[in-house]
Amino acid sequence: MASDFSALSSGLSELMVLRLLQRQEMYGYEIVQAIAERTAQVLSPGEGVVYPLLHALEKSGALKSRRKTVGGRSRIYYSLTARGAKRLAAMADHWSALNGAVGMVLHAV
Amino acid sequence: MRFENLREVLLASGIAPRHVRRYLAELSEHLDDLTRQQRDAGYDAEDAASRARARLGSDTELASAMLQHKQFRSIATRAPWAVFLLLPPVAGIAAAFALIAPLVLAAHIGRMTSPHGILAPLWFQQTASAVTLLGNLVLVPLLAMRFVMLADRQRMARAWPLLAVALLVLLDLQFQADFPPPGHRGGSLGIGAALWLHHPGNLLNTWPLALVQLALTLLPVLYLCWTRKRIV
Repeated sequence: MASDFSALSSGLSELMVLRLLQRQEMYGYEIVQAIAERTAQVLSPGEGVVYPLLHALEKSGALKSRRKTVGGRSRIYYSLTARGAKRLAAMADHWSALNGAVGMVLHAV
Repeated sequence: MRFENLREVLLASGIAPRHVRRYLAELSEHLDDLTRQQRDAGYDAEDAASRARARLGSDTELASAMLQHKQFRSIATRAPWAVFLLLPPVAGIAAAFALIAPLVLAAHIGRMTSPHGILAPLWFQQTASAVTLLGNLVLVPLLAMRFVMLADRQRMARAWPLLAVALLVLLDLQFQADFPPPGHRGGSLGIGAALWLHHPGNLLNTWPLALVQLALTLLPVLYLCWTRKRIV
């Protein structure tokens, strides 16, 4: 049933990834765990699907990446760029407007 | 090997090998983290591995996520006609010029050239002979191999690399260096392409070299046949 509503959540992953990376650099596993935790598992697709999104955002200049070794494990860490910050601000504004508009329809008497 | 089916699906769908490599490497690291998480939660090794793999996503889901992004497709699969039809002759001619240009430059800088030909010292003659040999026997086969491997990496139809190899054969790049003994003026250094078009009779004189060139250029095709059999 959830897949019937996948169109509704398209674009949300990008918004959440950009928001999470605004605070600190993270690697893929951390990002996915943070999304699942902060959305109370409501948004938990196959965890691996986050990587094509990360790569696409990096290619568009919204993210940058670097390989870093922490605790003996080498991982690719992603962080937000200035372009990514602008994109996040625009997406967040759009999402707030959309959320408000949908809310008005759903809660209309 | 981990994700072997996913790798094949992505390559055959046109995703560039470097993007496939990076994706699979990150998936592999993610799977390690998930497996460790499941082990910490108390599952035995087998259960932990299968639960981690399920959480990562099915091959279909993982492939679909990557295939949504058209920018990860390689140029070879986006425009095979440009890579396997236009590029072979252009690459062949460019490589030939790149190979011979340092020699021509050296001849000019060293004032070896004159209207009566080249007055070439022994080192120049030996270098020119080596370059000629390289150009005639190695350059085109290497280019052919490059196109074959390019197509093979993307699991493309055999027709594309065969087309590229056929064009390289028809291009028929020929390097030539003729010099009199050191101290005498004369001689020449040059490259030619598709000479068979204008001077078909020359093939009667140069057929041994042409045959060797042809055989070496067609070698990558054997490689292609062998690898495809291995994959099937």
